[in-house]
Amino acid sequence: MTSPLVEIRGLEKRFDLTGGLLEQITFQNGRFRRRQEAVHAINGVDLQVHKGEALCVVGESGCGKSTVARTVMGLLSPSAGEVHYGGKRIDNLKGRDVLPYRRKMQMIFQNPYASLNPRMTIQQTLEEPIHFHHPELARDEVRSKVQEVMQSVGIDPDWGSRFGHEFSGGQRQRIAIARALAVDPEFIVADEPISALDVSIQAQVLNLLMDAQETRNLTYLFITHDLAVVEHFGTRVAVMYLGRVCELADTKTLFSEPRHPYTQALLSAIPRLEDDRPSHIRLQGEVPTPVNLPSGCVFHGRCPYANERCRQEIPRLIATDGGAQVACHAVEEARL
Amino acid sequence: MKSNTPLLEVKDLDVRFAVRGGDLTALRGISFSLDKGERLGLVGESGAGKSVAAFSILNLIARPGYIAGGQILFDGRDLAAMSERELRKIRGNRIAMIFQDPMMTLNPVLSIGTQMVEAIKAHRRISTKAAREIALSKLRKVQIPSPEKRLDQYPHELSGGMRQRVIIAIALLLDPEIIVADEPTTALDVTIQAEIMALLLDLCEQENVALMLITHDLGVVSQVTQRMLVMYSGRIIEQGPTREVINDAQHPYTQGLINALPQMGEPGARLFQIPGSMPSLKNVPSGCPFHPRCSFATDQCRQTMPEYVRSGNVDVACYEVSNLIEQEKNMQEAGS
Repeated sequence: MTSPLVEIRGLEKRFDLTGGLLEQITFQNGRFRRRQEAVHAINGVDLQVHKGEALCVVGESGCGKSTVARTVMGLLSPSAGEVHYGGKRIDNLKGRDVLPYRRKMQMIFQNPYASLNPRMTIQQTLEEPIHFHHPELARDEVRSKVQEVMQSVGIDPDWGSRFGHEFSGGQRQRIAIARALAVDPEFIVADEPISALDVSIQAQVLNLLMDAQETRNLTYLFITHDLAVVEHFGTRVAVMYLGRVCELADTKTLFSEPRHPYTQALLSAIPRLEDDRPSHIRLQGEVPTPVNLPSGCVFHGRCPYANERCRQEIPRLIATDGGAQVACHAVEEARL
Repeated sequence: MKSNTPLLEVKDLDVRFAVRGGDLTALRGISFSLDKGERLGLVGESGAGKSVAAFSILNLIARPGYIAGGQILFDGRDLAAMSERELRKIRGNRIAMIFQDPMMTLNPVLSIGTQMVEAIKAHRRISTKAAREIALSKLRKVQIPSPEKRLDQYPHELSGGMRQRVIIAIALLLDPEIIVADEPTTALDVTIQAEIMALLLDLCEQENVALMLITHDLGVVSQVTQRMLVMYSGRIIEQGPTREVINDAQHPYTQGLINALPQMGEPGARLFQIPGSMPSLKNVPSGCPFHPRCSFATDQCRQTMPEYVRSGNVDVACYEVSNLIEQEKNMQEAGS
């Protein structure tokens, strides 16, 4: 197998909750104590994205999937761990060194109502990244590039003088996609790109993303909570829970034979058209807070198969016979 | 199974919004009925008018909206013509409502217990102690862990799923005959959504409460409801038994909506897509509102709104379907 296009190694991200030094100091039982609290959004994630694939990261709110996306893009700096692009470490680059990667990696956000500048016309919105990354291009070269990219996402190039608010949600997301495609990227991080859209529009945008992948040979890191979309769109899937990857597998393998108890519960919860009644696996309790992580396996408190080892020892991703990588002691010990 | 007079009957309901430059018609000629203990799904994309339909059942349309025509018969009386005073006796008491965002429905500065007791005392003359007993029993019904403790907690102390359980408990407080639920699980994660939907379904069956479920999720409708309505641009375009509509949709829009779902497509293949998007209320197309997006559209569709025709147990408003039925009839007559 060739080397991955993007590689994440031992990624961790904590968000400090306590603030400055004075806020951290408390007076307890006659002595001063320093107390620090942090949200542990990602706790040791290793992922590889191969050229031409669509790696989907799924999970429920608070599992850290968006933080992974933002850290890969360099919008957040990791607390620990490394991000590599094309074999080169990029999370520690500064200044001008980052620029080439900014062009190669582009991002599409969830909410097209917030991600387009309301005071810029569509033409300006789409010209800006081209001007920035290709300052050598002449005016009409930029203009023709914008025309081409608008056409490729199904937006009439004559609408360039309009503002974002004049478009519907689906059209806005097309424009956001056009903006990402304008600088001919290789790698696109899409953070819930269709969640804010209606069903019939979701299909349009998903088709557009697949077309772009084919014609431009793109690689996707696709963040979503919608498993039906993953099944349709993804090459491989990483299921996240509380900042850790609990299962990583080919889409087909994951959906036909989910191994991790959390993946099984998650898949059973998708409402299917052929169902007459809800038929989901019931989990006990709720997702614990990422401020105080549970010891051992983060899922043990809700897992029907948890034993003493699960409460103590953090499970690592281990390859199974089916080809999936699963982080679960029960699977490893063949209890499950 | 069907009793002679339905519990709720909406006849030819028109709802308009008076805005500058004339009225906008949000609902046009809506007719449906709900039997005792029946579960009815209302499906559509944003802007279809499904929430307006839900709100108008309780005559909760705020200005500039108003009910311009038609009747909402509940227990033989017309809710559309009732005074506020009389309506208040029905709202929350005999017809309860569950909204999408539990944080918006719960008062953040009152404890759960206070809010529940308040709701009971608004309709019944009983002591606070007795009211708390009722509240407690309903909290037990929705399977909240340690319900006694919850009574003294405030909404912010509960998780999203727990809050929605409290909302359901409040809806059940006065043993209503109908629960209107407007996207009750849209703000929740998949696993929590599955839990809440299963709970709602169980409770409605146990207590023989009729449920009107408004949602954009066809999977949820399929799991929970017995009959469904599909709305488009303020009209009901198809209604019938849920299984029949989902397995054998007649209207081109319903077919498109179902086929656009990622779970219906072959993984990796392009999804079926309906071109364009829902028209805004300001310029609803003449004739059938779906005709600009419909591949079967004829001049007839562009000029007049089709009447309902019956196909199996399903009522559809589409000329294509009615023509097909006509043809079939002629062929049968010619054959005999």
